[in-house]
Amino acid sequence: MKAKEGVLDVLYKVVTLELTAVHHYLLHASMCGNWGYERLQHEFHEHMTEETTHVSKVIDHVLYLEGEPDVQKLGAVSSGQGVQELFNADLKLEQDDVKLLREAIAHCAKVGDFTTRHLLEEMVVDSEEHVDWFETQLRTIKQVGLENYLGEQIKKDS
Amino acid sequence: MKAKEGVINILNKVLTADLTAINQYFVHAKMCENWGFERLQHKVRERSIDEMKDADELIGHILYLEGVPNVQRMNTVHVGETVPEQFKLDLKAEQEMLALLNEGVVHCVKVADFTTRHMLEDMAKDVDEHIDWIETQQELMEQVGLENYLSEQIHKEG
Repeated sequence: MKAKEGVLDVLYKVVTLELTAVHHYLLHASMCGNWGYERLQHEFHEHMTEETTHVSKVIDHVLYLEGEPDVQKLGAVSSGQGVQELFNADLKLEQDDVKLLREAIAHCAKVGDFTTRHLLEEMVVDSEEHVDWFETQLRTIKQVGLENYLGEQIKKDS
Repeated sequence: MKAKEGVINILNKVLTADLTAINQYFVHAKMCENWGFERLQHKVRERSIDEMKDADELIGHILYLEGVPNVQRMNTVHVGETVPEQFKLDLKAEQEMLALLNEGVVHCVKVADFTTRHMLEDMAKDVDEHIDWIETQQELMEQVGLENYLSEQIHKEG
């Protein structure tokens, strides 16, 4: 099916951002593993799996709309010296993601593409949950202190 | 543990090739799905997941060697417009990967880093198997004809 005006461009932007997120979480999971925070490593892996699912769905949809998905482009991937720095970078990325998705949803409504809108709405639910998760971690760190927080990240929840 | 000279550099190069391959296979799998070739989609997707596991392992190993993994860089993703073209491009990517891994193995022997060598050898074995698989597909297409080959790709084995 042919895409409505501007929909493919919006979806290409979403692919780039979601791919960047996959790389982000791949790196951050490994870094946490290297520091000995198994629980966090596991959480980041879960995030990565979700983002991969998003990429998969968006690419499917682009192909269905007879577009050519661009998997070459990548946004900036941030690293960090500590867990808090990673969380701050991830929070920023997820906030950007939510913003982009909201714009995309509004665009789809405007041009009357409700299947794409539906897909993006499902994704924005996940992204908002991610934003919430990072905000919670940062707040917990503030409340219990970094050392206590990190002490709890050594063992994975069984 | 500190890495021996040049090892991190090689690991990062392999990582870049891996990250590129993940995306190339991912998009090829999606295209096969869009064309209705379920069997191929499944096979190609599996390969993408293998590459992702390799990337995870490489990042873990780079961090273990106190290096900085580069997940920002990607080589050119070569996307084929038809199944035979996809195979051709994937074969080329695998051959380049094999050359890189072989180079890495030789270097690791020279500087006596046998754990990294072992890891790269395991990866080279997977690449070998995959090259063999692609070559087999190409040979098949020649022997049975493209149309017959493709029609066998519509159903996934149960």
